[in-house]
Amino acid sequence: MTTGGQSSAPRTLAEDLRARDDDALVRLLRARPDLMAPVPSDLTQLATRAATRTSVVRALDRLDAFTRQVAEALALAPDGCAYETLGGLMTGVPAAEATAGLGEPLDDGTARAVAGELPRAVAALRESGLVWGEDDRLRLVRTARDVLAPSASMPSSTGLGPSVAEATAGMSPARLQELLADAGLPATHDPQSAVAALAALFGDPGRFAALLAQAPEGVRAVLDRLVWGPPYGEVRDATVAWRAEEAETPVQWLLARGLLLPAGRNNVVLPREAALGLRAGRAHRAPQPLPPQVAPVQRTQKTVDATAAGQAFTAVRTVADLLKEWQTGGPAVLRAGGLSVRDLKRTAAALDLTEPQAAFWLELAYAAGLVAGDGEVDEAYALTPAADEWLLLPAERQWTALAGAWLAATRTPGLVGTRDAKGRALAALGPDLDRSLAPHVRQAVLGLLAALPPGAAARPEELLARLRWDRPLRASADSLRTDLVRWTLEDAEALGVTGRGALAAHARPLLTVTAAGERGGDGAQDPGGAEGSEGSGAAGAAVKGAAGRRGAGPAAGSGADARAARAAALLAPLLPEPLDHVLLQADLTAVAPGPLIAPLAETLGVLADIESKGGATVYRFTPDSVRRALDAGRTAAELKDFLTAHSRTPVPQPLAYLIDDVARRHGTLRVGAAAAYLRCDDDALLTELLADRRASGLGLRRLAATVLAAQADPATLLERLRAMGLAPAAESAEGDVLITRPDARRTPPRTAPVPVPDGPPTPDGTLLGLAVKTIRAGDRAATAVRRPPEDPPPGVPRTPTAETLATVQSAVLTGQALWIGYVNAEGSATQRVIAPVRVEGGHVTAYDHTTDEMRTFALHRITGVAELADEGA
Amino acid sequence: MSCLIVQSDKTLLLEVDHELADACRRAIAPFAELERAPEHIHTYRLTPLGLWNARAAGHDAEQVVDALVEYSRYPVPHALLVDVAETMDRYGRLRLSKHPAHGLVLTTTDRPVLEEILRSKRIQPLVGARIDEDTVAVHPSERGQIKQVLLKLGWPAEDFAGYVDGEAHPIELAQDGWALRPYQKQAVEGFWHGGSGVVVLPCGAGKTLVGAGAMAEAKATTLILVTNTVSARQWKHELVRRTSLTEDEIGEYSGTRKEIRPVTIATYQVLTTKRKGVYPHLELFDSRDWGLIVYDEVHLLPAPVFKFTADLQARRRLGLTATLVREDGRESDVFSLIGPKRFDAPWKEIEAQGYIAPADCVEVRVNLTDSERLAYATAETEEKYRYCATTATKRKVTEALVAKHAGQQTLVIGQYIDQLDELGEHLNAPVIKGETPNAQREKLFEAFRQGELSVLVVSKVANFSIDLPEATVAIQVSGTFGSRQEEAQRLGRVLRPKADGHEARFYSVVARDTIDQDFAAHRQRFLAEQGYAYRIVDADDLLTGAGEDI
Repeated sequence: MTTGGQSSAPRTLAEDLRARDDDALVRLLRARPDLMAPVPSDLTQLATRAATRTSVVRALDRLDAFTRQVAEALALAPDGCAYETLGGLMTGVPAAEATAGLGEPLDDGTARAVAGELPRAVAALRESGLVWGEDDRLRLVRTARDVLAPSASMPSSTGLGPSVAEATAGMSPARLQELLADAGLPATHDPQSAVAALAALFGDPGRFAALLAQAPEGVRAVLDRLVWGPPYGEVRDATVAWRAEEAETPVQWLLARGLLLPAGRNNVVLPREAALGLRAGRAHRAPQPLPPQVAPVQRTQKTVDATAAGQAFTAVRTVADLLKEWQTGGPAVLRAGGLSVRDLKRTAAALDLTEPQAAFWLELAYAAGLVAGDGEVDEAYALTPAADEWLLLPAERQWTALAGAWLAATRTPGLVGTRDAKGRALAALGPDLDRSLAPHVRQAVLGLLAALPPGAAARPEELLARLRWDRPLRASADSLRTDLVRWTLEDAEALGVTGRGALAAHARPLLTVTAAGERGGDGAQDPGGAEGSEGSGAAGAAVKGAAGRRGAGPAAGSGADARAARAAALLAPLLPEPLDHVLLQADLTAVAPGPLIAPLAETLGVLADIESKGGATVYRFTPDSVRRALDAGRTAAELKDFLTAHSRTPVPQPLAYLIDDVARRHGTLRVGAAAAYLRCDDDALLTELLADRRASGLGLRRLAATVLAAQADPATLLERLRAMGLAPAAESAEGDVLITRPDARRTPPRTAPVPVPDGPPTPDGTLLGLAVKTIRAGDRAATAVRRPPEDPPPGVPRTPTAETLATVQSAVLTGQALWIGYVNAEGSATQRVIAPVRVEGGHVTAYDHTTDEMRTFALHRITGVAELADEGA
Repeated sequence: MSCLIVQSDKTLLLEVDHELADACRRAIAPFAELERAPEHIHTYRLTPLGLWNARAAGHDAEQVVDALVEYSRYPVPHALLVDVAETMDRYGRLRLSKHPAHGLVLTTTDRPVLEEILRSKRIQPLVGARIDEDTVAVHPSERGQIKQVLLKLGWPAEDFAGYVDGEAHPIELAQDGWALRPYQKQAVEGFWHGGSGVVVLPCGAGKTLVGAGAMAEAKATTLILVTNTVSARQWKHELVRRTSLTEDEIGEYSGTRKEIRPVTIATYQVLTTKRKGVYPHLELFDSRDWGLIVYDEVHLLPAPVFKFTADLQARRRLGLTATLVREDGRESDVFSLIGPKRFDAPWKEIEAQGYIAPADCVEVRVNLTDSERLAYATAETEEKYRYCATTATKRKVTEALVAKHAGQQTLVIGQYIDQLDELGEHLNAPVIKGETPNAQREKLFEAFRQGELSVLVVSKVANFSIDLPEATVAIQVSGTFGSRQEEAQRLGRVLRPKADGHEARFYSVVARDTIDQDFAAHRQRFLAEQGYAYRIVDADDLLTGAGEDI
């Protein structure tokens, strides 16, 4: 600490930021994009925002494992510690200076690695605005310190407990002096100095070792259990004030000397200073300065690319099949959104896939903006106009569109069929399938694969270990990430982004696209909210985003297009060349020994049923399929010509015969719609009628010599024919002449209507009685003259809850004792004098001067608080 | 560009005209079942049973994967390769063997598998004491049962427990003026080295001789199970002619005769006759110390025989069949109880070698008359087939066909006795049906064989195992609803090699636009899939003579 630097050294984060150059600020904002929403007005505001809890938690979540460990170590050190102190916490006492019995020093290799990596970590922390100040006075942002410092409710990965000062807060001064005496320290005049003396003892290896040397058997075992955390242990009567001479058990021995301190009635804690002393000064048992290695599993790039290209082709075909399946309208959208389980099953069966696979392809088509709800009242899924464009693209461009959508999508089809927190099954295409973590994991996994030598695969567990190091996550998010890594690898294989587990050459350009894209536009995604889901709004955005990418987008879009084009160019030669011929066989099958050109595939798809899919397609001709083709307007001759033209082998006789045979019968029966018919034995009259201009509006058409069909209904037809001076007779369905007379009109038998009263039915007596009672009771309650509240027992304070909380919190900070009124679980009111130590989760942990013990009080049972009139008591 | 395409549904498409096709076929035949063999592209299928058959024949997963990868035109889906390897790996983890102290034991090379199967409720009653961590005792009488159950659990056991020799009996092949064909020899060898198992040969390829060859290897008393009495006589006749066995050494165990001799031929029917809830004739299995049991037409093996076969696991078993496809889907029981496939040769190959006659299949479509159409439309559903199958027009067409092939040995096959009687009358040919006594049948067959008779009308009793070497033309007028098995049998009637190398003709007369035609579609598919030339002609063309070239 030089006095020269004092004047220029920043005193606040704002001042520190002010001193940074613009680049540094840009880096800060890039690392923490949430600070930008909205753009702060000045640096003070930026600094304030950077110190808010939400923002700090987010920033901490983005750190890699080592940087986070460094931040945790900083949170343990006194504020404004020097770089060397931090280094000491990370590496511990050098092996040469280690004191026997006070922990194993860090092995040399790791220590060197830590020393090597520490500047990087500190720079990263400084860059993200979590640490400020010069190297001799490193300051961790206060909120970060609060978040990272170990507490009972938020155990830290360091496994350390509260400091001596925190753990002894609320302990009576007399007891503190007893601890000092038993630890062999001289008495001090106030609690603060007593705490300092105790901490200093633990921090001094020589004296600490000497103290431990006197310890009876079993003490080491207790300490060893607590030293690397969790630092809390359960014992009976932790708050009993043991003295050195009465201590019988190891725990009592430790409690008497302040090596263990009470943390509630049945818990003890190993204070931080003592634990550090026992760990050779190391904050972490295993610092992880270097990321875990991902060992390449070598494959040949050629096999990888061929496999991936084969899979890419299958992927494109599967999506095309799906679109074809939904061509004339897909299944209905559930009211809660998504696809019903039955429809998913049906679609899976139609595409010959398992349900999870079907869900994946459906979600992919959805993410790529190829299918969507149609927005009608009875909403159903349908293809989007983009789907038609997509279908016209060459296979490699179709693939880049799918792969691009997949890389960026937050939709996670792997969740389909699982249940959410409320136990509702998650439907495919439904809401709650968006996980903002998904694209990050995909990018990260593929990024790691890309970093391996070309054609190398990696073991999933190693990839996961590496991701865990790059960004440690909380347990719930981590389990999601574990799933996501698995799904990413499966999906990438299915999509042909990888082949045999290694990244395909044609996927590489796409990856750089989105990797760069992610760096720039990271603000849109919130990695911190990983375990939360964003609902259908985000889903809609994803679709729009995907659709937007295709259109003439911003400058970034054209770059992405160029990369997609590069990927497509790499993929194109690997895809099987579409064929323009099939092999026809006498068992009425056609085998396409590879993919077919689109028009051929389309016609064959109508003319024959697909029997087997894969590299080749086997089509089977059946009378039904041939009829389908005839229905579609083809003639037998056309079909035979088509087959002759596209078959490499002669058309087998049975197939030609089949087509002729079906064609022979096709259309023999004709079906049409007519509203009425006219029949007449005199065909001259019908001819005349057809020629009559007045009959033109009736839509008459001759079906046979003596029969006309009309588009007008029978009544109109009769009327118009009569108007033309003809004398038609109406006919019943059985062919009888219908005779209409001016008959008196009667209804079929009816029962008399049941009277419908005007208002609701008159209620019966019981109901009325109950109603009056209820009204009375309510009335009494509202208007009752309340007895004035009982006077509080003399001297017991009464304060509103908010004030109680505020007073208790301030007492924690000042270390002051309070006078409280408390109602226990049985309802009896007492009054106590307590020294609050912490306020957490609706409970106050405090030293109860009345009973001389640590205990917790429920805040809601505290009837009131008052500060003690004078501390002298 | 290679010749094989591996589909995602585990079918393999082989382009037969490709230059590598032969090599490829040899590489994949051991593990893939040939499903369809039309003219250009053959379809093989990968099934667990097929893969295990390959394992039993000594092939390993690596060979299978290599073959697929080497010949595949497109990258083979990784999942499929993994699946193949996993499936094949399941075979042989468990093995049944003889233990000097504990008798029959089940051992494993993979302890978790043993733990898994021992936890199964269906295995527990079949096993005895645990001998050590990898071995468990099995009661000898449960040898078949446990194999059956293990296969169902997906862990087929290899059976190394060996066989009893049975009562020795000298049997030699009397190869005077004839010899076993090469493929028959291979089949006998394949069976003998494998211990027990099934030989798959097309009808007319001489399965009886494979049986005789196996008996000559075993040189022990033999029980032969056949489908019916005619077939039993056929076997006896053939054995007397081809081996050193004499009439007296061969017994017939059927509804009429109950002889038990060193070689006994029994019918399925008599074995499965049930009286008062028991099968009295199953004692036959225990009546002698049989050294070999031959099952003819394994695909027709009735369920009770399976049950009994399970108890005969210590005896050598030979199954003979034209197809492993069972219409009841019990292929897995054949695999576990009789044994894996030991030899297989597709029809076309044997045909190409000249041992069976090539066949030309023709479907003749007849039109119903207007009144028949009306009657057909109004007929009860269950009567419909009978109605259209026996239409009078068919008679005319049949007559025309018989006249066309005058002088050639012609069989007319049908389902309905009335129709056959009528046809017999019009064609002036004898009719063989269920009520025809066996003696009369054999007399007629013999006359047909000798060429004294050139046209014979037979009902479905002739479907199985009769031998009509000189039938050149078969005309089927009605059938049992398009059964594939029946088709195989009927085709077999005309596929026996002809003395003059004449091409066989197989006509099906079918009523147009009726369910008869739908059934014919099944037949057509079956025949085309077997690689036979198949044509459809109109009866009118035939009758007016326009189809002179037919």
